[in-house]
Amino acid sequence: MTDTAKIAAEEAPPARKPRSRRRRGDGKVAVGMVIVGLFVLAAVFAPLITSGHPADQDLLNRLAPPSHAHLLGTDQLGRDEWTRLVYAIRVDLRVALLGSLIPAILGSLIGIAAGLGSSWLDTAIMRTSDIVVSLPLFIFFIALVGLLGPGTGFLFLGPGELPLIIGFTVISWVVYARLLRSEVRRVRSMDYVRAARLGGLPRWRVIGWHIVPNSIGQTVVYLFVDVGLAVVAISTLSFLGVGIPIETPEWGAMIQSGRTVIQTNWWLIAAPGAAIALIGMGLALIGDGLDDRIKS
Amino acid sequence: MVAMRVLLGRLLQLLLVLLAVTLVVFVLTQIAPGDAARLRLGPRASPEAVSELRHQLGLDRSLPQQYLAYVNRVLHGDFGTSIDGQRVSSIIGQRISDTLWLLLGTLMLAVPAALVLAWTAAWFRDRSVDHVIRLGVLLALFLPAFWVGFLLIRLVAIPTAWFPVADLGSSPGDLIRSLVLPSLTGAIILTPILVRSLRSSLIDVLDSEYIAVARSLGVGGSTLIVRHVLRNALGPVLTLLALNVGYLFFGVVILEATFNISGLGSALVEASAKRDVYTVQGITLLFATGVVLANTLGETAVSLLDPRTVSA
Repeated sequence: MTDTAKIAAEEAPPARKPRSRRRRGDGKVAVGMVIVGLFVLAAVFAPLITSGHPADQDLLNRLAPPSHAHLLGTDQLGRDEWTRLVYAIRVDLRVALLGSLIPAILGSLIGIAAGLGSSWLDTAIMRTSDIVVSLPLFIFFIALVGLLGPGTGFLFLGPGELPLIIGFTVISWVVYARLLRSEVRRVRSMDYVRAARLGGLPRWRVIGWHIVPNSIGQTVVYLFVDVGLAVVAISTLSFLGVGIPIETPEWGAMIQSGRTVIQTNWWLIAAPGAAIALIGMGLALIGDGLDDRIKS
Repeated sequence: MVAMRVLLGRLLQLLLVLLAVTLVVFVLTQIAPGDAARLRLGPRASPEAVSELRHQLGLDRSLPQQYLAYVNRVLHGDFGTSIDGQRVSSIIGQRISDTLWLLLGTLMLAVPAALVLAWTAAWFRDRSVDHVIRLGVLLALFLPAFWVGFLLIRLVAIPTAWFPVADLGSSPGDLIRSLVLPSLTGAIILTPILVRSLRSSLIDVLDSEYIAVARSLGVGGSTLIVRHVLRNALGPVLTLLALNVGYLFFGVVILEATFNISGLGSALVEASAKRDVYTVQGITLLFATGVVLANTLGETAVSLLDPRTVSA
């Protein structure tokens, strides 16, 4: 090999790998989106993929095993389990979404106030959040809602849904407030925000244009996880008989009513629980994938 | 001296928080609709009898007076009587042991499991083992505990008939056998929560200067891990456990409902369904006090273990 060839070989750019445009976390987000998307589609088009109404009883056909007519069999009242499973998505997701979005918005506002406000306000908010975190709020929730009863529906919400949403708001605003507070403090001291302030940009514009957009990433990540955790909490509470009434098509209530026939008709318990776990994991995968993206 | 001052300060703080807790519990149970006297006597009781009982229970007095009377009664260990006429303190006495066993069983499985997983993840940080553990732990957060419990009952307890699935056994052997599945279920819910924070505190310890110094002095292997890493990670473990006691109590309520164990949790659920205000009050206060005490104990233990936090 001649010297020039050697040099040329050394200088030749390394065989360029087709630079993948995929970023870390994309796989998780994709899998999560497929799972959550399927659930959402099923909820929207529930009448098309089920037969009849979730409350329809067929007393001659109780505890039927899975068949063509009844994909997941029927329960003790002859209600079609698949239909109830699908309609339950509407109940669980509606409550979980509201029960996460409301505390997310409220908590974020409180967190921004704590991060930007006077040190007195900051201390008051952080102390309050310390106390809230240290109290057994779910126990209080069982005590209060158990004594109050589920109540009636409210606007488009069914019975028992409003107390759950209020309860989740009381419980989870803290996480968002702390998140936003620390993010605001981090972003506030960055050079470009300082520059914007020195440049005479009004305070609310600094907040709206620079601080909030930069702090929102982690909040969105946690929001996905929170919706999934809310589904678990809703179903757990209605399993305990607190919150959503047992006759509602709701996953936790369905497991509670199926527990007496666990030995023979185990799918009445297995299917709703799998739905809870699956949608929670789908949401968590989206959140975790987005987190990977932000960090990479 | 410093330790004494810390302890006294904590004790004072504890008393204030406990007072606040009684207020919260009192208010919670006041919001409930219905008249405790009417609920007790039933719809057919005469108005005279109801007002007589109202007077006896002190319900005809103003709310602040009722609250003071409540605190006074609680201080004397009197939690009132349930709807069925049982003393709430004796209900608690009968039910508390099952709850404590469940707590113990869950902790005995969850803490070692969390330590091993968090340790492995921290040691192999950012390698594939770490990624697998982190993803697994994240996904495990979404397994509903009662569902896991029922799966264990259906797939393990019923086919093998090894584990009783209602109530805890009385002889030591039966007790342990009846605790296995509930504790396992409890550990499946608690472990993921512990691992996530524990991993980052272990990484902090591993990255710290004193570990680097110890390594440079030739300390290695098990001495390094036991004497330096684990000792310094004990604080975070205790803090983490204390922070999650409220959640742990909720977990025990779920376990009792799933495995038909008649502890405090199922007593609370039953009582609140029956609108049994005094029983709900008593058990809620007990759980809340437990949480506050655990937090105080955790903080105190940490500050005594680690002299650096005392001055701060």
